[in-house]
Parts: sequence; structure tokens; C-alpha cells
Amino acid sequence: MDSSRTEVSRVGEMASSPRLAVALALGWLIPGAGHLVLGKRKRAAAFFLIILATLVAGTMLDGELYRTVGAPLATLATLAAAGVGAPYFVLLHLLGYTGSLESAGYEYGKAFILTAGLMNILLLLDVFDIGRGRKT
Amino acid sequence: MDISHFQLMLAYAFLLSAYFAVLWRRERRNQLKLFAQIFIGLVGGGIVVAWAMYPFPSGPPAPFP
Repeated sequence: MDSSRTEVSRVGEMASSPRLAVALALGWLIPGAGHLVLGKRKRAAAFFLIILATLVAGTMLDGELYRTVGAPLATLATLAAAGVGAPYFVLLHLLGYTGSLESAGYEYGKAFILTAGLMNILLLLDVFDIGRGRKT
Repeated sequence: MDISHFQLMLAYAFLLSAYFAVLWRRERRNQLKLFAQIFIGLVGGGIVVAWAMYPFPSGPPAPFP
């Protein structure tokens, strides 16, 4: 027996790799969808509502939607905002939303939008843990 | 949108507390308890930091209206 490997204790059911991959992909595209694929319906609905509400609050405040890639911090911020998945691309490409610099809520809205993206990225880690049986 | 800084802080704290309560706890009772702890921590912490910053000057106004 290989003693250098640490056995991870499992508390839940393990999902198959393809199912987990689908859960992660859908989870990124639509907040909460990853949990839905893994059968956590109530949690999926709660996360969907919370993340969408955060994003909507950010857009109502005319917060900046990061879209530039180049400077390190701007690239990280763009990745964070894009973490919210499909809603990011709908806002940017279908609705032409970028935020309004003249709005009083520009900086505050930006914080809400970035938070929504980061929430969804963190959710993907939760989906991964549930899929691997480390969480229920 | 006509909303004060404090109301924005309340909204932000509410959403963040709800998110982490659902993420980190499974039972409803524990979720409510964690929600209250995070919410009070964020809002209370914000007020404490605001009081601590009170003696410092606020700096020049923002360069745009």
C-alpha cells in the first residue's frame, strides 16, 4: 500500500466524471445550475437568486462591467466579472451594457458585479467538492 | 438610483451573508445563525471602521460630478 497518499474522507455520493464536468460547465454558465445537475435543487435556486440579485443590483447602480484584457489587474477583474457566466456575455454583447462613469453608483455597482462573478467561481469549487463526495 | 451608502452596505451585507450561509451550512437553523453572525459582523464592522476613520480628513473631491 502506498503510504504517501492521503485518503480523502468521503461524506457524500461521488458523481461520474462526465456528470461532474457537465455540472461545472453549466454551473459556470448559469449560477446554481451545477448544484441542480448534482440534485441539490433548493441550494441551486438559492444560489441562482442570490447571485442574480447581486448582479442586477450592480447593473442598477450603473457599475462598471470589466471587459479589458492587458493590464494585470484589469485582466483579473475581467475574469472575476466573467465568472458569473452567461449573464456577463448577455450584458456585454446583447444589451451593450458597460456601466456609466458619470453615475454615483459606478464604483459601488462595480463591487456588486465583481462579487457576483467571484461568488459563482467559488460555487464551482463547491460543485467540485460535492461531485467528488467531499461534501453533501 | 437614489440610495444611501448605508443602505448599499446593508444590501451588500445581506446578499453576502445569505450566500455564505447557504454555502457553508446545511441545516436551516445553522444557516440562519451563520447569516446573522456574518450580517452583524459586516454591518457592525463597517460602522466601527467608519467611527475609527472619523478624525481623518476625507481628501479632495472626486474628479467627476
